[in-house]
Amino acid sequence: MFDFLNIFTINVISSSIRLATPIILAALGAAMCNKAGVLNLAIDGKMLIGAFTAIVATYFYRNYTSIGIAHPVLATYLGVFTAMIVGGAFGFFFAWMHIKYKVHLVILAIAINMLALEVTVYLMRVLFKQAGTWSHPSIVQLPSLDAAWISSIPLIGRFLTGYNFIVYFSWVIAIALTIMMYKTRFGRYIQAVGENIEAAEAAGISVKRVQYFALVFSGMLAGMAGAFLSVGHLTLFTRDMSSGRGWIGNAAALFGFNSAQGSFLAALFFGFADGIALRLQNVTNLPPYIVQLMPNILTIVILAIVSYRGKIRELKRTQQ
Amino acid sequence: MKQPSKTMVLAALVPLCALIFGVVITSFFIMLTGVSPFSAFRVLISGAFGTSGKVWPLLITLGQATPLILTGLAAMYSFRVGIFCIAQEGQYVFGAIVAAWLGVALSLPPWLHILVVMAASMIAGGIYGLIPAFLKVKLGVNEIISSIMLNSIAVLVLEYMVAFPLRADQGQKAQSAVLSRDIWLPQFVQGSRWGISFIIAISLAVFAYFHIWKTPKGYELRMVGQAKRFARYGGIKADPTILKTLFLSGMIAGLAGSMEILGNYHRIMTGFSSGLGFDGLSVALLGQSHPFGVVIVAILLSGIRQGAQLGLQISLQVPRELGGVLIAMVILFIAAENVYRPLLDKLYDIINNRLTLIKRKHNVKEVDHV
Repeated sequence: MFDFLNIFTINVISSSIRLATPIILAALGAAMCNKAGVLNLAIDGKMLIGAFTAIVATYFYRNYTSIGIAHPVLATYLGVFTAMIVGGAFGFFFAWMHIKYKVHLVILAIAINMLALEVTVYLMRVLFKQAGTWSHPSIVQLPSLDAAWISSIPLIGRFLTGYNFIVYFSWVIAIALTIMMYKTRFGRYIQAVGENIEAAEAAGISVKRVQYFALVFSGMLAGMAGAFLSVGHLTLFTRDMSSGRGWIGNAAALFGFNSAQGSFLAALFFGFADGIALRLQNVTNLPPYIVQLMPNILTIVILAIVSYRGKIRELKRTQQ
Repeated sequence: MKQPSKTMVLAALVPLCALIFGVVITSFFIMLTGVSPFSAFRVLISGAFGTSGKVWPLLITLGQATPLILTGLAAMYSFRVGIFCIAQEGQYVFGAIVAAWLGVALSLPPWLHILVVMAASMIAGGIYGLIPAFLKVKLGVNEIISSIMLNSIAVLVLEYMVAFPLRADQGQKAQSAVLSRDIWLPQFVQGSRWGISFIIAISLAVFAYFHIWKTPKGYELRMVGQAKRFARYGGIKADPTILKTLFLSGMIAGLAGSMEILGNYHRIMTGFSSGLGFDGLSVALLGQSHPFGVVIVAILLSGIRQGAQLGLQISLQVPRELGGVLIAMVILFIAAENVYRPLLDKLYDIINNRLTLIKRKHNVKEVDHV
C-alpha cells in the first residue's frame, strides 16, 4: 500500500509534464491537420528530423563568433529554432506534394518516416562516426526557467516552474490555438473545413490555404518537439529517438476530438501514463506496460463510441 | 503479337524511374563518405544477390525476404478489398508472441506441435486483423487510426510478455526460453535463414494469385475493393467480404511471425519487431498490390538491406542505413509519380507515334509487292 502511494510524488508530476511535452506539440499539430482534412502520419518522422537538426545545429552554432553570438545557451535556442524551420519545410513539402500533385498522404508519410529514421543515423555515422548515440560536451541543454513568484504559489506552484521554454511554449500554443479556433475568422475557416470540405470550398473558403497552414504548422511543432527530445530533455541524439511519440500524438489528437484543448488534455493524459509507468518500474515490480496500455485502449474505445454516434446521426439524417 | 497497352508499359516504367531517381539521390549520400557510388552499388549488388562464399548472400536475402513476402501479401489483401489497414506489424508481433508461448508451453509430437503453433498464430493474427475491420464496418472507425493504436498495443504487450510471463531467466535481456530443437523449421543451408518457410511464402503468393483472380470469391473481393456500392448492387455483401478478407490478411501476417520464431529466432525477445509490418506495407504498395509484384519487391528490398549491411558497411565502411535511405527514396518517388508521370506520358506518345509510322511504311511496302 505504501508502495502504491509512493508512486505519486512531485517528481512524477513534473516528469510526466516533461514526458507529455513532445506529445502535446505533436497532438496539437495532428489535431490541426485532422481538422483541415489532411491526415498527417509523418509527425513521428518530422520529430526525429527535428531532434537531429536541433542538436547538430546547436553543435555548429556553438562557436559562431563572427557576429558575436558565441554563447552556448543562445546556440541551443538557435538550434531549436532551426529545427522548427526544418520541420516546417518538411510540412510545406508534404502540403505541396499533396495539394499540387495529389500524392497519397499516407504513402508519403511512410516514406518520410522511414527516410527520417535512416537518414539521421546515416548522417550521424558519416559526420560524427557514431553508431548508436551522439553527443558533444560543448552542447548545452536548454535552460530551465524559474520564477520565484510562481513557485511560491501554494499547492500548485511547485508544478508550474522549473521547465524549459518549450514546455511553456506548448501550453501557450495550446491556449492560443483554442482562442484562435473560436474567436478568429481563420479559426472558423479551419472549423468549417473540418466539418465539411466541400461545403467550405463552396462557401468560398480557400481550403488549400488552410491545409498548407495546418501541415506547415504541425511540421514546425513536430520539429520543436524533436528539439525538446535532443537538446531540451537530454543533450544527445539516439537512433529512433522519437520512439513512436509522434504516433501517440496522432492518437491523442483523436482522443481529444481534434480540438486544441482536447488534444492538450489527452496528450497530458498520455504523458502521465508514461510518467507513472516509469515510476512504477522504479518503485515497485508491477509491470509498467499495463499503465501504458491504458490510453491506447481508451483511444480505441473512444474512437468507436464517437464513430458510432456519428453513424447513428447519419442514419437518422438519411431516414428523414 | 499482342502489343502491350499504354497503362501496362507505364505501370512498369514508373517503378523503374523511381528506382533510377532513388539511386541518383542515394549516390549523393554515398559521395559524402568519399566512396565512389559505382563501386558502392557494385558491392551492394554482390552483397545482396551474390553467389559466392560459404553461405551465398543471395540465399540470405531470400531468407530475409520470407517474412516480408508474407506481411506484403497481408497488406495486399487489405488494399485489394479497399481497406487501408496498416496493422500488419501488430498481427506479426501477436503471431510471434503466440508461437513463442505455445512453442514452450505445449508438449506434443514435433510435427503436430509445429502445426498447432502455426494454426494458433494464424488465428491470433486473424483476430487481430478482425478488430480494425469490425470497427470499420460496424462503427465506421478510420482503419488507419485504429491500426496505429493496435500496433502500439501489440508492441506494449510484447514488452510485457517477454519481461514477465514468458521471461526465461533474470539476465540482462528480456527474452523467452529457446524452443526445443525438434520444432525448429528446417533451413536448406545452415546459417542462411532460407528454409521451408520460404517455400510456404511462395506457395501462399501463388495461392493468393489464384484466389484473387481465378475464383468467384476473389472476384467479389476485388469488386468490393473497387466499387463498394456497385458490388452491393450486384448482390455482393460487402461487409462480410471485408471481414473475411481482413481475417485472412491477419492470418498471413500472424503466420509470418510464427515462422520467424519457429524457423529463425527460436525465441522472442524485447524489440523483436523491427518495422517489418511497415516494410510489408511498402512492399505491397511498390508491388502494385499484386502477389507476384509483392514477391519480387520483397526480395529486392531485403536484397538492398542485406547488401547494405553485408557489403557496404563491412567492406566499404558506408553505413548500412544507406539501404533504408534508398528504399525510402524509391517509395517517395513512387508516391510522387504524378509529378513526373505527364512527362512519361508524353514520351510514350512520341515513341509510339514514331513506331506506328515506321510500321505503316512497312505495310505499304508489303501491299506494293502484292
